[in-house]
Amino acid sequence: MSVTPEKKAPGVRVSGLSVVYRTPTGELPAISGIDLDLVPGTITGVVGESGSGKSTLALSLLNAVQSPGRISAGSVEIDGLGDVVKLRGEELRKARGRHIGYVFQAAQNSLNPLKTVGKQLLDLGRSHDVADLRGLVREAKDLLGRMGMDGARVLDSHQHELSGGMRQRVGIMFALVLNAHLVVLDEPTTALDMITQATILRIVREVHEERGLTTLVITHDLGVVAEVADRLAVMYGGQVVEQGPTMEVLGAPRHPYTQGLLRAIPRLVGDIDEARALPGRPPTLGTIPERGCVFRDRCVLRMDVCETEKPPVVSLGASIALCHAVEAAADRDGRADIPPAGGLQEVVGAQGATGVHEVRGEQP
Amino acid sequence: MITGKNITKTFRQRGSVLAGREVRALRGVDFAIEKGGAASFIGESGCGKTTLGRIIAGLETHDSGEITIDGTPMSPLKPRQREPYFRRIQLIHQDPYSALNPTRTIHQTLDAPLALRARQTRRPRSWVDERAEELLALVGLDPAYVLPRYPHQLSGGMRQRVVIARALTVDPDMLVADEAVSMIDVSLRLGILGLLKDLRERLGVSVLFITHDVATARYIGDDGELYVIYRGQVVERGHVETIISDPVHPYTQSLLSAIPVLHGLEQPGEQPVVPTEALDESHHDAGCLFARRCPFRTERCESELPVLGRAEGTPQEHACFHPERRSVVATPIGRG
Repeated sequence: MSVTPEKKAPGVRVSGLSVVYRTPTGELPAISGIDLDLVPGTITGVVGESGSGKSTLALSLLNAVQSPGRISAGSVEIDGLGDVVKLRGEELRKARGRHIGYVFQAAQNSLNPLKTVGKQLLDLGRSHDVADLRGLVREAKDLLGRMGMDGARVLDSHQHELSGGMRQRVGIMFALVLNAHLVVLDEPTTALDMITQATILRIVREVHEERGLTTLVITHDLGVVAEVADRLAVMYGGQVVEQGPTMEVLGAPRHPYTQGLLRAIPRLVGDIDEARALPGRPPTLGTIPERGCVFRDRCVLRMDVCETEKPPVVSLGASIALCHAVEAAADRDGRADIPPAGGLQEVVGAQGATGVHEVRGEQP
Repeated sequence: MITGKNITKTFRQRGSVLAGREVRALRGVDFAIEKGGAASFIGESGCGKTTLGRIIAGLETHDSGEITIDGTPMSPLKPRQREPYFRRIQLIHQDPYSALNPTRTIHQTLDAPLALRARQTRRPRSWVDERAEELLALVGLDPAYVLPRYPHQLSGGMRQRVVIARALTVDPDMLVADEAVSMIDVSLRLGILGLLKDLRERLGVSVLFITHDVATARYIGDDGELYVIYRGQVVERGHVETIISDPVHPYTQSLLSAIPVLHGLEQPGEQPVVPTEALDESHHDAGCLFARRCPFRTERCESELPVLGRAEGTPQEHACFHPERRSVVATPIGRG
């Protein structure tokens, strides 16, 4: 291999990353101009709704965007690997698994139903030229034991003999067993029960700390990232609209989308009537606006400038938001507490009964 | 009003490997849902909540026990005689993407059941289109926009609203919503929950909400009754707000403890309950079904099965020998 294995948590710098999908109506952007740093040794959570581009972003980290999609601009610099976007063929294949572990969405469907987990482990070892296969098995057993399972028994099992939570843990084992130090988890707990989800998230956190990883968690569930992530990136319409330390982004959200999303989550405590759905619907590949702000159709703070100008990057404390309104507020009072909390509530509240929200913003 | 008494259901598995294995989906469940009322069944997957929902909607048979609808017991009736009763209970299931015929426009989808309804009630043909528009408006959609479109042209949230509108074509008394928002985008979920609540208030339709996400159960009405189901048994039952704020059964407490905390906005509950081991459906002990996973089990729990009741003077019913209030739910950090 031309690259030297780096055995510490690597940093990742995504800059100006764009991915387009070829369609009969031309090339449409799934993500455009994303800047995102993964700080070595941290867990970063990417949260977004369907069509926000979060899975495309995750696949780009492996340079694994499938045709008709392609990375059209930007770079993904990973410590010890270089720019992944430039890697090709065998180099790329070796990097996947050894440097970057990937836990796929619905781990239950990513295992081979005809082979035992152990056989699949040996396949993995051979395809990556692991000399010491016994060592690999030992490592796998250790990892499975670490996650509260009987390693020997799991390696002898077919996937149908394992529960959803167990398969998910097997997926995590596969991602880590080649000693990758950058791990991407795509929807690690979707389709799992609450209690199993809590167990998996605890394991993710513990394994992350013990092995000194850089971890990226992709999810639609803000609760999941709130639980595990040190840093949080909120995606909407193919862009990261807000990012920063989790505590800060959740405690003092700046972007109107983050604020709306937080208000739209059913919670166990608090006033039921304060929670409300975001009006409108998330954009799809074909409906992402070409100019201006991607969120403007659903935004309560929309201004004229949002129609035409790309939102500026506004840094506030340790977090960043892409929003004209945040910038205007920051200019106005030198800081960006937009707007007074009561004010926003009134604007949203003025839209009437919950029943009619969704129609708004999508009339032709 | 629909009630169930001691409903049981056992599935026998077929196929070479699992042949003869029995799964006791329901072990004698009682329930009662008032006209216009709201109830929620919560629990992990495989706990029997969906089976119970399907039995209530008339889509699944049960082994023993009695379902009574508006005072009429169902078991003496022939399937054909039961039909009119169960037609008034409509199921809305999880996946709005597969619930609608992709080759039919929304107009066609609503037209068929409404035309039948028009014949049954001797209404003129013109009533069908009027009613279709009325129903779409009722579920918060713009008829002019939605009617000519195919399902793939609508978002998940809009599709689920169409599914609800279709369920309303037969003027049901009850909607059974099985994980009705779990496939909907997070920002739109409250819209659907709000709609169900709204339909209760406006049409007097009762709503049975089946979910693994306890928090959503609050949003279909604060007068709702919550049933916590574990391995086919109701282990705690009572007013939704009571159970969320003061759960006494360790299983309910572990479900609530497992809900992610929004760090920065909330602080975790002080006494989280974590099951001591993972769910194992295969074990059959004489005692409490949860005993093996329960951090608070005693000898009695392992030998004797607790029954649902109000022992120890709790406001809700529970099936636990050692009910104790624990603070498990995250609390909002005061803004200051």
